[in-house]
Parts: sequence; C-alpha cells; structure tokens
Amino acid sequence: MEYYLQQLPQQLMNGLTLGGVYALIAIGYTMVYGILFMLNFAHGEIYMIGGFAGWWVLHLLSVNNQPVMNAALIISLMIIIAMAVSGLLGILVERFAYRPLRQAPRINLLLSALGVSIFLQNLILNFQGARPRFFHVTSLVPENIRIIEMGSVVFSFMRVLVIVISFLLMGLLTYMINKTKTGKAMRATAQDIEAATFMGIDTDRIIVYVFLIGSALGGAAGTLVGLLFTQVDYYVGFQAGLKGFTAAVLGGIGNISGAMLGGIILGLTEALATTFFPAAYKDVIAFAILIIVLIFRPWGLMGEKIPEKV
Amino acid sequence: MKKSLVLLFSVIAAVLFSFEVGFCRDVSKGIHVGDAGAFTGDAAAPCMEIFNSAQIAVDEWNAKGGIHGVKIKHIMGDDAMDPAQGVNVAYKFAADKLMYGVIGPPMSHIAQATLKIYGNANLACITTAASKPNLTEQGYKHFFRVNARNDAHGWNCALFMKRYLKAKKVAILNEKVAYCENMASETIKGLKKLGITNIMQDTIVAGSKDFSAVLTKVKAFNPDVLFFIATAAPDQAIGVRQMKNLGIHAIFFGTEGARDKKDFIAAAEGAAEGAYVYHFSPDIFSIPAAQGYIKEYEAKYGTISGFGPPAYEAMNILLTAIDKAAQDGQISRKEVIKYLHQTKGYKGILGFPVTFDEKGDLEGGATYFFKVVGNDFKQVAVMTGK
Repeated sequence: MEYYLQQLPQQLMNGLTLGGVYALIAIGYTMVYGILFMLNFAHGEIYMIGGFAGWWVLHLLSVNNQPVMNAALIISLMIIIAMAVSGLLGILVERFAYRPLRQAPRINLLLSALGVSIFLQNLILNFQGARPRFFHVTSLVPENIRIIEMGSVVFSFMRVLVIVISFLLMGLLTYMINKTKTGKAMRATAQDIEAATFMGIDTDRIIVYVFLIGSALGGAAGTLVGLLFTQVDYYVGFQAGLKGFTAAVLGGIGNISGAMLGGIILGLTEALATTFFPAAYKDVIAFAILIIVLIFRPWGLMGEKIPEKV
Repeated sequence: MKKSLVLLFSVIAAVLFSFEVGFCRDVSKGIHVGDAGAFTGDAAAPCMEIFNSAQIAVDEWNAKGGIHGVKIKHIMGDDAMDPAQGVNVAYKFAADKLMYGVIGPPMSHIAQATLKIYGNANLACITTAASKPNLTEQGYKHFFRVNARNDAHGWNCALFMKRYLKAKKVAILNEKVAYCENMASETIKGLKKLGITNIMQDTIVAGSKDFSAVLTKVKAFNPDVLFFIATAAPDQAIGVRQMKNLGIHAIFFGTEGARDKKDFIAAAEGAAEGAYVYHFSPDIFSIPAAQGYIKEYEAKYGTISGFGPPAYEAMNILLTAIDKAAQDGQISRKEVIKYLHQTKGYKGILGFPVTFDEKGDLEGGATYFFKVVGNDFKQVAVMTGK
C-alpha cells in the first residue's frame, strides 16, 4: 500500500499536466461542435503544427542550442507565434474545407475534416521530414530551478510552467466567453444559429472566431507539450487529437467548461490508472470510464440535456 | 466439361508463371535487390542508415562492373514501422521477377508479418537487426540474420547487469511490440537464472512522448538499473530525460536503438551522460577492415550510429550469393538461398566472421556494451554468453 501512496502526489502532478494539455485540445473540438455540430478531425493536426511553429521559433532564436535572448521572452514568443499560426490555419481550414459544405449533410463535413487531417499530416511529413524535432529546452531554465523538489514530489520547472500557462489560457477563455460581447454572441450562436442571425449577429464572423480561438488554443497546447516532452513529429496530432476528443465527449461535447473538466479528469485517470494497474491498461481504463459516464450521462459530465427540436 | 478443363489448366498455368516455380531467368534481364525497413517514422534515422550502407555496397559492386556485367538496382520498400505496410512491401518485392534478395526487415514484428510471403516466394531475406528468436524457428529456409538473437542478447544483458553494473534490483520497461516484449522476457529469464529476482516490469507506448506516469512507478520501486527496452532512439531520449527529472537515481540502460548520437545523446541534452546501451555490432571505428566503408559513409551520408555496418555486410553477403548463382548466366531465387546457406566464415567489416547455421542464424552471437561519455559511445564490455 505504501508503494502506491508514495506515488500519489507525483502522479497527481503528472496527471494534472497531461490533463491541462488535453483540456486545451478538447476546447477546440467542443467549440466547433457547439456551433456546427461537426467533429473537426483536423484539430489534432492543427495542434501538431502549433508544436512545429513553436519549435521553429526556438530553433531560430537559438545558437548551438543556447537561447540568444531572454528565455521568458523566447517562451512567450513560441506560444504566441504557435497560437497565431494555428489560429490562422484554423481559419483557412474553415474557409476552404468547411464553409463551402455548410449546407451539406454532416457526413460530408466529417469526410472533409478527415481529408484535411490527412493532407496536413502529409504536408508536414513532406516539408519537415519524418524525424522528430527536438526542443533544446534545458538552457531555457536557470540551472538552480530546473528541478524542484518538494518532499517526495520532484518536478521540472517546465511542468509548473505548462500547468500555469494552460490554466491561464483556460481562465482567459472563460472570461471571454462569459463577460465579453463576442462571447455572448458565441453563446447565442451555439444555442441557435438561425435565431442568432435574426438578432443581428454576424454568425459567419462568429464561426471564424470560434475556429480562430479553438485552433489557437490547440497550437498553444502543441508548443507547451513540446516544451515539456521535448519532441514533436508529424504524427503526434493523431493521439493527441484522439485524447482531446475523448476529453470533450467526457465533459459533454459543446460545453467549454465541460471540455476543461473532461481533459483534467482524463489526464488524472491515466496517471492514476498507471499507478494501480500495468501501464498497458491505462487507455483501457480511461476509455472504460468514458463508456460508464456515457451510459449514465449520455450528454457528458457537464453537457446539457437538449430537448429534441421539432 | 471441356470449357472448365481449359479454364482449370489456364489457371494452373497462370499461377505457375506468376510464381515462376523453379524457373531460371537470364541474368542479363536485370538484377534487383530490395531493402525493406521503416524509412519514415520514428525509426527513420537507423533505417536510412541501413539503406545508405547497403547502397554503398551496391555502388561498389556496380563500380566493379556489377554481376555478370549487369548493374544491380537497389529498391527501397518503406513500411513506416507498420506491419500492414510491411506486407504490401513484401508482396511488391515478391512480384518483382528480377528481385533476387532483400535486406531487412530490421524489425521483428514486421519480419514476422512478412515471413510467410517472402518464404513462399523463395525470396532470400537478410535482416540486420530483427532479433526475435522464433523468426528462424518456423521452418522457413529463406530468412538469415547477421545479428545475434534476442535469447543471446537477453542472456548477455542479464550477465552485463549482474557483473558490470552490479545490479540487485532491476526495473524493466518495454514497448508492446515483438522485439521489445521478447527481449524483456529473455532478459528476465536470464536475470532470474543469475539469482536476481527483485524485478519490476511494465510497459510503455512508443511515440507517446510522455513516460512520467510509469517512471513514477519505477521511482517507487527504487531499482539499481532501469532497462528501457524501446525500438527507437527518440523515445529513449525522453525516457532518460524524464528519469532524471523525476529524481530517479538508477543507471539507465538502453537498447541498440539508442546507440544514436543525435537522436539519443544530443536529444537528451546531457541527461544521457553515464547511461549504457547494448548493441549487436562492435565499435566499428576500431576495426581496420571497416575504415574504407566508414570514410565512404561519412563523406556521403554523415554520422554512423551502428545500424549501418551490418547492412553493408549483409548486402555484400547477398550480392556474393547472387554472383555465385549467376555464374552460368542463369539465376533463380532458390539458387541464391542455396548459396547463402553455404556462407561460411565470411570476413567483412564487422570484426567477426559471418557463418550462417542451417536455420539462417548467425553462429556465435555476441553483444557489445557501450557507455555514454560526453557526446559519444565508449565500448566498455563484450558478452558472449559465458
């Protein structure tokens, strides 16, 4: 028993970092679903490209793996540029792959999304190659705070940074959705896109915002994962996308706070499942929990039970 | 009745011709050799090293005039580490009537998936890295290897951990693919035989980029040595870095895949210092016969990690067999296999003579052990099962 207990604080830390990242990815899925009722399968690739964008910033601002300027500035630039690149990419994908199909059956949109996903993956494979890119992050953090020890819990500074930034971004989003006019318009559009149009909301613009914000958060997640796990390659979007999507469904797809909660629960479940069971079963357990939740609450943890429209 | 008989005979004829059962071909039609491996994906770096090294051997043969005056064509078949794509490559190679031998597949799970296809087509395969023992235990005659088997490696690694690393408590993490699972079970068997029973085993998922949860478990177990059995170097770079980040004080012991300066040592940014890896081939730079190959490789393709030399050797052995089979101007795949089985004491660049036993295995397999010192691997021990 002690063997398990001594792992717990550390595993909570592991789960929380992973959960924060899953949550950021899940938000992208859930925002798009909330308005368009489609699964944006390309979202995993947008996350991956965010990781590459972050890598390029770090690479161009380093000489012999040493940063050429203030490390805090580099990290901020990495995240901001990754968000910009992914956000713009999200807008482009919406404009060229989804908007022309807005009136088509949902299945066409789904196929289009799958196509975009495969296209983006191969685009990166073609131009960036198959070998992973390595984030040389060690010299970004001063040596005396690289590893932090608190009792039995040991963690890297990067881990704290990733948790703080992901929660900060989620906080900002929550504020935006709840307190600003654009946020209000987004909520209205999600509730009923036609009615929102009648109320004078430019729903096309709102959809662009949704793709911009969701993709930017995905891009931020890509770079944060790069900073923490130090590698990105053309294939990372697949698994991350799957986990982000799972988190969104767990929390109640379409519900932003649900996506955040779902991500964190999924991350924690994986870490705790690894503690008590062979690590090979962590996904089995995570998905078993998803199935159980969906049996008892088909609308997810925080999703709303929407009455059938007549 | 008549109609169906005609149909039956034409089907039989078509089948016979398509498989070229027992047919000899004129050498002058061309000679193809294949190279099957994961040329994209996480293992792209070692596999490209395999391909490029085999290419050097082919270029050298072609510079000397090829075989029987025919230039050899070296064809790449990319399986991206996916058995399904490996099967496609195997069918493609088997259907190529001018193909007389294949280097690879270097990964056990793909070698397993394609064994029957190459075997039925009588197409000789020389793997340079697939080490799962039962690949040569299934009655096929076409499969050869220039590397030792996992049962030899597992036992040698157990010996190394006990004698050299003085391990008493060992944690083993392995990927869930054929080579890694088998290597883990062979090593555990060896450790138990040596009296080390305090062992923890768990699994990792390749390419998931985060092993901190399972490493936290390792930390609670507090081993002397962590044997990290993964296929590709980037995963092991993350493993050693996260091990250090979690404050685990065990010795990191990686596999042959980790013998890669760029994707393991440099990628781990200092965390790999003092780590150990095993490899099926010795320090190639210390072998006089290999100097020509090294010069050629470095001039054309860059740094050698250790996967290249066996591929250069394997291609030379294959081409020697094809050369013998082509002496009379006629050649068949079966002849190539026959001559490969006759390979005895071939002296190339690996520093040990290559002899295939009747199963196609390398006789007297050794395992070499390296320590990471600075930005390089230093050979520290050789184990030969004793």
